[in-house]
Amino acid sequence: MSKSSGLFISVLGGAALVLGVAYGWTSRDYRAAELAVLTDRLAQLEHSNDDLARRADQAFDLEARLATLEADLAAARQAVEDAKQAASQPVAAVADPVQQPEPDPVIADATGLEFGDPSRGEQVFAQCRSCHQIGQGAEDRIGPHLNGIFGRRAGAHDGFRYSDDMAMMGADGLTWEIETLNAYLENPKALVSRTRMNFAGLDDPQERSDILAYLRQFSASPQNIPEAAPTAQAREVELSPEVLAIVGDTDYGEYLASECKTCHQQDGSDRGIPSITQWPTEDFVVAMHAYKRQIRPHPVMQMMASRLSDEEIAALAAYFAKAE
Amino acid sequence: MKLNRRAFVGTGIAAATLSAPMVHAASHGKPKVVVVGGGAGGATAARYLAKDSAGEIDVTLIEPTRSYYTCFFSNLYLGGFWDLENLSHSYGKLASDYGINVVHDWATGVDRDAKTVALAGGGSVPYDRLILSPGIDFVEGSVPGWDLSAQNAMPHAYKGGSQTELLKAQIMAMPEGGTYVMVAPPNPYRCPPGPYERISMVAHQLKMNNPTAKIIIADPKESFSKQALFEEGWQKHYSGMITRIGPDFGGGNVTVDPEAMTVDVDGELIQADVVNVIPAQKAGLICDAAGLTEGNWAPVDGASMVSRLDENIHILGDATNQGDMPKSGFSANSQAKVAAMAVRGALTGSRVFPAKYSNTCWSLIATDDGVKVGAAYEPNEEKIASVSSFVSQTGEDAALRKATYEESIGWYEGITSDMFG
Repeated sequence: MSKSSGLFISVLGGAALVLGVAYGWTSRDYRAAELAVLTDRLAQLEHSNDDLARRADQAFDLEARLATLEADLAAARQAVEDAKQAASQPVAAVADPVQQPEPDPVIADATGLEFGDPSRGEQVFAQCRSCHQIGQGAEDRIGPHLNGIFGRRAGAHDGFRYSDDMAMMGADGLTWEIETLNAYLENPKALVSRTRMNFAGLDDPQERSDILAYLRQFSASPQNIPEAAPTAQAREVELSPEVLAIVGDTDYGEYLASECKTCHQQDGSDRGIPSITQWPTEDFVVAMHAYKRQIRPHPVMQMMASRLSDEEIAALAAYFAKAE
Repeated sequence: MKLNRRAFVGTGIAAATLSAPMVHAASHGKPKVVVVGGGAGGATAARYLAKDSAGEIDVTLIEPTRSYYTCFFSNLYLGGFWDLENLSHSYGKLASDYGINVVHDWATGVDRDAKTVALAGGGSVPYDRLILSPGIDFVEGSVPGWDLSAQNAMPHAYKGGSQTELLKAQIMAMPEGGTYVMVAPPNPYRCPPGPYERISMVAHQLKMNNPTAKIIIADPKESFSKQALFEEGWQKHYSGMITRIGPDFGGGNVTVDPEAMTVDVDGELIQADVVNVIPAQKAGLICDAAGLTEGNWAPVDGASMVSRLDENIHILGDATNQGDMPKSGFSANSQAKVAAMAVRGALTGSRVFPAKYSNTCWSLIATDDGVKVGAAYEPNEEKIASVSSFVSQTGEDAALRKATYEESIGWYEGITSDMFG
């Protein structure tokens, strides 16, 4: 019996008692009802007992895992210290990636992570561009810009509204380094469980190390972001200034949005289907036009976008930008 | 009808906004909307009406069950992918957060002149506008030998809740190497891919626990939804387990004997351990009781889901004859939003926009092997017509199928919070 159904039955039993009194039951009826309540309570207690035993087992397992992880962490820290002392110079200042196409050979920590090939990483990064800008002039969009990401504390970039979990992880000390970024890229929700980043993760270690090499170019000396970097403003679809300038009708947007909300949950939950609440207007408009022109691949979204006019897309964007 | 809704909406947003009428007479307080049926259509309509009218409309929801078990995703419970408790939803938030008057009773009839709904528990509820979303009932005699008194021996499991549990228990209790027979329904019926997703889930369950068991489908239809995808999946995951007898081989000529647990398919007698009879379907009984049906279904005007037989009654979901949309929870939810907007516009003068509808049906074939089919719809003079559509392809890679399955879980969470708050 589940906890809630046990509770439910005991509430029923209690109600039966009250009703019993109200309808003048005999004392035998009353005792029978009382017995039923007590039997249910016993069942509940037995259930809680099982539950406690199970949790104790889980706690034991977790403690053991924690001890292992702490040992690994200590070893990793030591290795980083060793590596720092061994290096006579700070790790490769990558002022101009075009002139330094060689993969960075420095092993960053004891886990054996290496930076891969930044030019391949740039290609892998294409899938990140719909949310993240990087390079000269990069701005926060759906996600924060990624200039200077290495060494930055998680959730701490001013002016960007992070998920509560991301902000909390940062406050708890999470800092973006090769190993933490590698873990985050592999499975974002495993590291930051309720992050708003709608990304399933990169399974391929090579792709991760390539993308980290690409990102790192924009971090080694954040004051000197390479001129030659790809422009941060490239849009997925070219839209005329007139289309971008349409001011959406939020009432109409609210009605149209009701269709989106069958799948996209307003409260920001994003299991299996991304959250679109509070997306910046322009990103929303660009994304919908990209679906409409079948540049973005998802068949449901292509279908939904295909019948929306420019005004309707603007109306939806206006509504979702402000949706709570 | 004072106002031609079709012409009205057809004139476009600007005109609609300017001419939105105050139809409701203010003589008896706030306008009253009664919604019958608390499923994907009714719960959504009640919630949107209450939410968007912000107290301007009295909304009453009549629904007999206290816990609603969704029919969608019940196949995943049969397959062992979803817990029963995760199919169950309460009406508590609709009452507490949205102020909806939730009445747990059966609506037994409608007095269309007096504009009241009669309740099985006695009394009646008055309305200015009525929304009926009763789902389906079964056509008597459509499977000779079967009637509702046989639903324990041969469950339909085509309404959520106890029937779903019963069918699962019977599947789990099948003897080694036993036989599961499904009597599939003729068109049109609730959830076109549903019977075939169910076959997939039963096969998955049997493959794990009873791998020598057999599945037979007696099917009166030549073809069915997502057929190529299901058949590819059955071959891949459950080879040799599933036999489908189509109409060419007598799959439409079926008699059952619930006492003997036999199924007669075109003269050939099959001794079965589980028989899942999904009968032919019709609009929920109240539609007929209210005189709103033509044939088995209730005709509606796709511009606002208003009944073609009563301008004060809107009908949603599986019960309707509206055109191209499949009978599905997604469709009912989509239709509910259009109806809620139209009803609110008529009663409070709020803006009314042209109707847009959509539907997507996800199906799970095996672990992490999800597929989908969907379309977008718009109303025309005749019906709600499909304007574009898509379907998953055979031979898709495993990552895409897994993403599709995960998307379906996201949809389940999305639509249930859209229904129940």
